[in-house]
Amino acid sequence: MTNLEIVNAPVPPSALSPWPQTVDWHRVSPRLIWVEELQLLASAAPVVLGCLLGFLFLDPPWSTVVGMVGAFAAASAAVRALWIPRIVHSWGYAERERDLLVRHGRLIRRLSIVPYARMQFVDVTAGPVERAFRLATVQLHTAAAASDAVVPGLAPAEASRLRDRLTALGEDRAEGL
Amino acid sequence: MSSLSQAPVEPRRRLHPLSPLLRSARLIGLAIVAISWRGYAQLGTARFLEVVLLVLLGIIVLSIASWWFTGYHVVGRELRVYEGLLRRRVRAIPLERLQAVNLVRPVLAQAVGLAELRLEVVGGDKAEAPLAYLTVDEAVRLRDRLLALSSQATATRPGVAGGVPQAPPDQLVHAVTNADVVTGQLLTPQVWFVPVGVLAVLAQFAYSPEWTFVGVASLITAAVGVLQQPVRRVLDDWDFRLATSPDGLRLHHGLLDKRNETVPPHRVQAVGVTWPLLWRPKAWLRCRIDVAGYGPTEGRRQIQAGRLLPVGTMDAARLVVRQVWPEVELTALAVTPSPTRARWLAPLRQFVLGAGLTDTVFVSRDGLLTRELVVVPYARIQSVRVVQGPLARLLRLATVHADTAGRLHAIAHLRDVDEAWELAAQLTERARAARSAG
Repeated sequence: MTNLEIVNAPVPPSALSPWPQTVDWHRVSPRLIWVEELQLLASAAPVVLGCLLGFLFLDPPWSTVVGMVGAFAAASAAVRALWIPRIVHSWGYAERERDLLVRHGRLIRRLSIVPYARMQFVDVTAGPVERAFRLATVQLHTAAAASDAVVPGLAPAEASRLRDRLTALGEDRAEGL
Repeated sequence: MSSLSQAPVEPRRRLHPLSPLLRSARLIGLAIVAISWRGYAQLGTARFLEVVLLVLLGIIVLSIASWWFTGYHVVGRELRVYEGLLRRRVRAIPLERLQAVNLVRPVLAQAVGLAELRLEVVGGDKAEAPLAYLTVDEAVRLRDRLLALSSQATATRPGVAGGVPQAPPDQLVHAVTNADVVTGQLLTPQVWFVPVGVLAVLAQFAYSPEWTFVGVASLITAAVGVLQQPVRRVLDDWDFRLATSPDGLRLHHGLLDKRNETVPPHRVQAVGVTWPLLWRPKAWLRCRIDVAGYGPTEGRRQIQAGRLLPVGTMDAARLVVRQVWPEVELTALAVTPSPTRARWLAPLRQFVLGAGLTDTVFVSRDGLLTRELVVVPYARIQSVRVVQGPLARLLRLATVHADTAGRLHAIAHLRDVDEAWELAAQLTERARAARSAG
């Protein structure tokens, strides 16, 4: 890794956190951690519980198999649960003059740059768990299915501010194709 | 908007009277087969004919009724299509959003001189509002009128005043000989698989003769399945001609189902140039265009949309691509390869991966066996993404995606991190400049 020494001053160290001087990254609410944890619990608990029941009430050859499956599910859920805070902290968004930047992901890092002019519509969604924690998700849709500008874990006020800003900026532009 | 209300509303027009029959031809055929399967023996000839007649009558009455309620007319800059017998539906298509217009003539419709007009718009998962069927003259006139209105909506063009424009005749740019189309499809892995399969069956026959029936039967089934694609390609690419017209590119192709596509050049989202492995000795390549309206379901239909050049040499490809974007010279598109350490992540295709920026387009190259060059103009970039996996982070590599509104995306795989950042910044900036210019 000899390249590390050649990095010049204006070039940021990582491709996925660009323009650090000119961009102020907003973080998403830490309450999103709880939403994610609860959603993980809701999806993992039935599997683990079912396996536990099978482990207790089935005959020996099957109880071991079911028990191992349950243990594996519980272990992977635990690893994921420990990982969630880092994932949530990795979410960030920044509004530049002409485009929205969204970055997320720990293991696989992603950065999306979506110009406001390309916006087709904006979604604001809030599931039951998200609502309980007073959070909402804003998603910017373009004509390309691949561009994923999703910002979860926003306070309702911030979500509607972002939505209004996005629609206002998108309005005076062309048709977006 | 005020001019719209003052314009006289033209009367609603119906489709051709034969269209309900054509549309339900398959249904009628199926119904007759379904009845004949068991019915003929049980009912006797007289009763059987009665039932067939009754079913036919029912279908015909229903389709005539639906024909009666189906209509279209142009209101201002909108095409309105009315349809539905019980559930009425009026679909309004703003013509400035028209991506492409395809005139399709399926076999049956050709026999009676009719055509179907398909309007490609973004958002629908299939071609929206196919007007089936119109007479060929009427379809051509309507197509020209819709396209004129469409381009009038986006940019003013002289000589078009609502009525039928006096369009100069199309100018032929390139034609592909049918021999080339057939040769090209013979040089596909699918076709080459067939002798291998025959050899396999023969070998099996040598060892255990009693298995051959199963072997032959499965070979035939497999061959039919495998050969379906090349055969369909030949049928689709037959008699391929590319012409230019004031409305845009005119692509004409098809043997059984004749298709005539009109694509305004500014609606082309990306061009893909492919060099299949088996075509390399002949130095042949294939070009396709991506238009936002061409949904994924279009590929499953019998006619595939989006070909620009089914088979041809580099010279033909250069000529054809220049019709789409005059400033793009295919041979001059240079790509810089990914760094050699990308070999750790893409051991076989590291030396193929490449990306390059020119004045107006972003180019990416990928594919070891089937090499593909994707050309995306800056003006058509929807969003830019940078993705970095854990191993790529260790190697200081990142991948840059330039997303378009179609299915073809230019992807610069595994660039150096600093370069990827620079690339993303450049793409964003150039896309913005191209947007504000055009």
